[in-house]
Amino acid sequence: MTLFRWFIARSLRQQPLRSVATVFSLAVGVAVVVAIQLANASSLRGFSTVMDAMAGRTSLEITAPGVGIREARATSLGWLRDYGRVSPVIDADILLAPVPGVATEQFEVVRLLGVDILSDRPFRDYQLVNGETPRRVTTQEFLSLLTDPYAVVLTDQFARRYKLAVNDPVTLLVGDRIVPLRVAGILGEEGPASVLDGNFALMDIAAAQWALNRLGQIDRIDVRLTDGISIDQAEQEIATRLPDGLGVRRPERRGAEVERMLRAFHFNLTALSFIALLVGLFLVYNTVSVSVITRRHEIGLLRTVGAGRSTIVRLFLGEATLLAVAGSAIGAPLGWLLAQGAVRLTSSTVSQFWVASAAQVPPLSLEMVGFAFVVGVPLAIIGAFVPVREASRITPMAALRGDAALEARNRLSRRFLVVPVVLFVLAAWFVRQEPIDGLPIFGLLASLAVVFGAAVLMPAVLFGFRRFCGGAMSRWLHVEGHMAHANLGSAIPRLSISVAALAVSLAMMVAIAIMVGSFRETVVYWVGQTLQADLFVSSARSSPQGSVISSETETLISNHPDVVAVDVFTTIDVNYAETPIVIGAGRFEVLLDHGALLFKAPDNGPAAMATAVGVDAVVVSEAFSLKHRVAVGDTIVLPTPQGETPFRVVAVYFDYSNDRGLVVMDVGTFARHFEAGRPSGLMVYLAPEANPDTVRNELRDGLGNGRPVLITTNASLRREVLQIFDSTFVITYALEVIAVAVSMFGVAATLLTLVLERRHELAMLRLVGAERGQVRRMIVIEAGILGVLTHGVGLVVGFVLSLILIYVINVQSFGWTIQFHVPIVFLGQSTLAILVATAIAGLYPARLASRFSLRDVAGFQG
Amino acid sequence: MIQRVVSGILLAGMSLLTAQILTSAQTQEDATQSWRLASPTYDLSFPRDHAAHPDYRIEWWYYTGNLFTREGRRFGYQLTFFRVGVDPNPVNPSQWTVRDLHLAHLAITDIDRGLHRVAERLNRTGVGWAGASTDSLDVWNEDWRATASERTHRLQAMDANQTGRLRLDLRLDSDAAPVLHGDQGFSQKGEDVGNASHYYSFTRLATRGRLEVDGEAFDVTGTSWMDHEFGSSFLEADQAGWDWFSIQLNDGTDLMVYTLRDLDGRADIRSSGTVVTSEGITHLKSDDVRLLPRRRWISSVSGAAYPVVWRIDIPSLGLQLDVSAAIDAQELVTVQSTGVTYWEGAVDAMGTHDGVSVSGEGYLEMTGYAGVPMSSVLR
Repeated sequence: MTLFRWFIARSLRQQPLRSVATVFSLAVGVAVVVAIQLANASSLRGFSTVMDAMAGRTSLEITAPGVGIREARATSLGWLRDYGRVSPVIDADILLAPVPGVATEQFEVVRLLGVDILSDRPFRDYQLVNGETPRRVTTQEFLSLLTDPYAVVLTDQFARRYKLAVNDPVTLLVGDRIVPLRVAGILGEEGPASVLDGNFALMDIAAAQWALNRLGQIDRIDVRLTDGISIDQAEQEIATRLPDGLGVRRPERRGAEVERMLRAFHFNLTALSFIALLVGLFLVYNTVSVSVITRRHEIGLLRTVGAGRSTIVRLFLGEATLLAVAGSAIGAPLGWLLAQGAVRLTSSTVSQFWVASAAQVPPLSLEMVGFAFVVGVPLAIIGAFVPVREASRITPMAALRGDAALEARNRLSRRFLVVPVVLFVLAAWFVRQEPIDGLPIFGLLASLAVVFGAAVLMPAVLFGFRRFCGGAMSRWLHVEGHMAHANLGSAIPRLSISVAALAVSLAMMVAIAIMVGSFRETVVYWVGQTLQADLFVSSARSSPQGSVISSETETLISNHPDVVAVDVFTTIDVNYAETPIVIGAGRFEVLLDHGALLFKAPDNGPAAMATAVGVDAVVVSEAFSLKHRVAVGDTIVLPTPQGETPFRVVAVYFDYSNDRGLVVMDVGTFARHFEAGRPSGLMVYLAPEANPDTVRNELRDGLGNGRPVLITTNASLRREVLQIFDSTFVITYALEVIAVAVSMFGVAATLLTLVLERRHELAMLRLVGAERGQVRRMIVIEAGILGVLTHGVGLVVGFVLSLILIYVINVQSFGWTIQFHVPIVFLGQSTLAILVATAIAGLYPARLASRFSLRDVAGFQG
Repeated sequence: MIQRVVSGILLAGMSLLTAQILTSAQTQEDATQSWRLASPTYDLSFPRDHAAHPDYRIEWWYYTGNLFTREGRRFGYQLTFFRVGVDPNPVNPSQWTVRDLHLAHLAITDIDRGLHRVAERLNRTGVGWAGASTDSLDVWNEDWRATASERTHRLQAMDANQTGRLRLDLRLDSDAAPVLHGDQGFSQKGEDVGNASHYYSFTRLATRGRLEVDGEAFDVTGTSWMDHEFGSSFLEADQAGWDWFSIQLNDGTDLMVYTLRDLDGRADIRSSGTVVTSEGITHLKSDDVRLLPRRRWISSVSGAAYPVVWRIDIPSLGLQLDVSAAIDAQELVTVQSTGVTYWEGAVDAMGTHDGVSVSGEGYLEMTGYAGVPMSSVLR
């Protein structure tokens, strides 16, 4: 221990910059992994917390696909009471403004439960506070609060936020309808009111039905089993007794469905986060290498005075561990901070509001800190392994003699060519494999094979550089260039690992840039092709559920003289193969006449689509087709209120709006199977000579304030789509910026190693007449060369990786066809940025190198 | 009697709500106007009037009885269905709108074991999970149900709780016509016009069937009493509570008497009763009846002191009875719902009728001895 303090701790203190840089880099690496884990966990955990609070003591719930349970069917479900208590529920996300009227931007998304409080008491806890001390009100008091058809009970948190009191008016926005409500009570933090930041509202089931325009329907029936009844048995029995079209499930199953939905997304994020760790690994390697090299002499001395090899190994592994512990300790809270930002981005990526709103980063737990150490410490030890082995092999004699710092062979071994070839062939095989359980395992293996293949190929690349670029270097960069080339050429074994690590992280950035760029181009093209309507009408604020366009609004719009056709769009969420999907309905005839879907199959998509009118046939999105292995001509069985119903698939079309998968049918077909409600949006086609802006304004005026609908022109909708797209992918860039920053440290550290190893040589250079400036220039040129080399390799590898990402991983995870497109401008910019960054990274080692004088070195060599 | 309506509502743990709803209803003139008032010109007619009367605000069907197994093991039971109107003309067209609330109360006293088990139901009509037919006597609350055809009533109720299943499945028969209380079933309660109800009973129903208490089932036979009453008005505010008896004697005499106590504990002048003998029906006024509480039982739960032994004296009929609770502990504490606490249970009766010694069984209800004062609850 004394030895450790003297030998390792002292040197770490004496090299504060390097130590801090390594600890910081490790911390960043660990933080990224922790952040992604937390972000993934929190989106699910947040959802489960809300779900638990909403479900209360519900053991089973009875649901119908998409449209809810018709009351007429509920009447005959009295036998459910044989199993326990029963509570019918209206459950919706609504838009609520804390003021009367619609002339406000203050609408908030609020989760609404409409319950029969008489039945619901055994299920959920509500605590009425109404500004006084909290107390448990009787069911009767509660009911009398709710029987007013305009009564809504809000949470204390929400009421405080908007300074609302009992009897204050609030406004509910349902599609294009405004419903005035009155605050009938305030709920304390208990049960459903304790989650969602207080964005919870309670209404009587009758009032909720009326306000939401859902008379005659309930969303589900909750069942709380009598004590002693086995849930498995009850679930099974109820399932067999329920009529067709109704299903029973445990509330926690919803969590599993959401988890399934997010799994591919989370899996890819996790994979991405481990890239940051690779870089961290490389940094530890570098730090420990520097540490070993600067103290060859001391190691030799230690060995001379009797220290065994194991002592040396313990000392340097101790150093790595110390760095890792510090890095992990900082990384855990840093990761938690990163997760806060990441969750927000994750949320906007995931199209489900109720997941998004629920996502909250849990407080940093002991487990998460432990996880940081479990990730960080072994990583550092692995990274330190190679230099530590090197240190342990230093013989006392060699160290004292001052032999060449590196004993590695300085010529190209054959295995540096064979291994990459094997890995590349493997990669080629991997990309042809099917996904495992919906996860692109082989795609990621292929990426890994490419990355490692490229890394192993690095020495060959460097040898190639030494062989072929010497002349050019001398010609363009004179003697400094010549020297730099020679210096790097002589340090290939040492450089290979650093350059490879750097190249890999750059390759990832390039790959993701290409993928995002391609995706963006594809979406731009798709939007251009498919968004044909001139005006889009939707609810004034995008509400997740219940946003419907009334028939009055539709009539008013249809009657405008410039309107030639109106298409509707209705969507419902259902489960297919235990995964949430979306069923959509539109007017196929209008879509065929005016719209333009991009069909993947068959060749004549519109003709196929035309055959779907009037029969049980559907058009499915590419994502649906790929995820559920459905092709044209297949029959899929969808859950409908009448039970499982078969539908023939007549066409597959491209869609980038939804990765869950869309099944689209004609409104007529939809109305036959699902109780047709009002559409959630209208697509309006205008006469060719009409000006969309003018018509939009005329319609806007015609609808007036009483019908708060949003009318968007084609041009602004396209803009909006791309804005959403760009904000969604910010996270990917952010991750890559981290990787590049870490790489900069890498270049600096690598050069530092080289400089320290060559201090004698550098001093000699000064002695034979090299000026400080020349030495500095030489080192900066070396840094630049490293930048060019790494980025060059990074570009090539990145290109290959992007192909895997686009054609394998993306297709397997999301089911989207992306047209390959290289974002030249972005890559050009980042190339320039990286070259400048690496050259700058060379400045510190350069300054250090220019300061060596023979006196220092001679004393050392003494 | 309307008082019984009130007590019934309390039983099912409803009063606070009702009071609030009524308060708000009374402020809305038109709403109050919409409920039909009991009228002396209304003639009860059967079987029509066994069915529900949704025009009136309050209605109840009330069954109590004493039942025996073949081995002589004795049980008391009570099954009551209430309908309380909330809003006669709701604006919300939803099926779930609360026009009426349906309440039901099941209690079984296992006299030999000294157990008293209770269950209750409270529902809106909703999609028909509770209701009362307007065509015949068919009233239900979840899977509890009372129906009648001709002279046979069927009662079914089941509740699963911690102590095991509580269940009734009974068939009640009577050859006699319903007994109309008051003036041809019109029972005037207060000074105001319409402060009255329509009230009749089946005073002696031969009963057989099956009951289950704490999961143990028994075949039973015995005698039941059934009340049906409807009206729209309510009690006056100055009453503290009441004591009510229904008794079937072994000489064939059936007796219903009650007394209202005011806030000072005095018997109200509107106390009254009905006696059915082989000779006919006698309506009693408050002067005709003397009710004397004897022994009191103090509830360890509520602290209330209930007179569980009574002397009933009706000199005009030569009837003198000592009535005592079959078991003392038949108190109901509805902490969760209303805080209303009351006593309702099976009783034994012993005494003389015209000099001949008689005995019998019946039911006793006592309210206003503990918990929320009735006057505050009912205003």
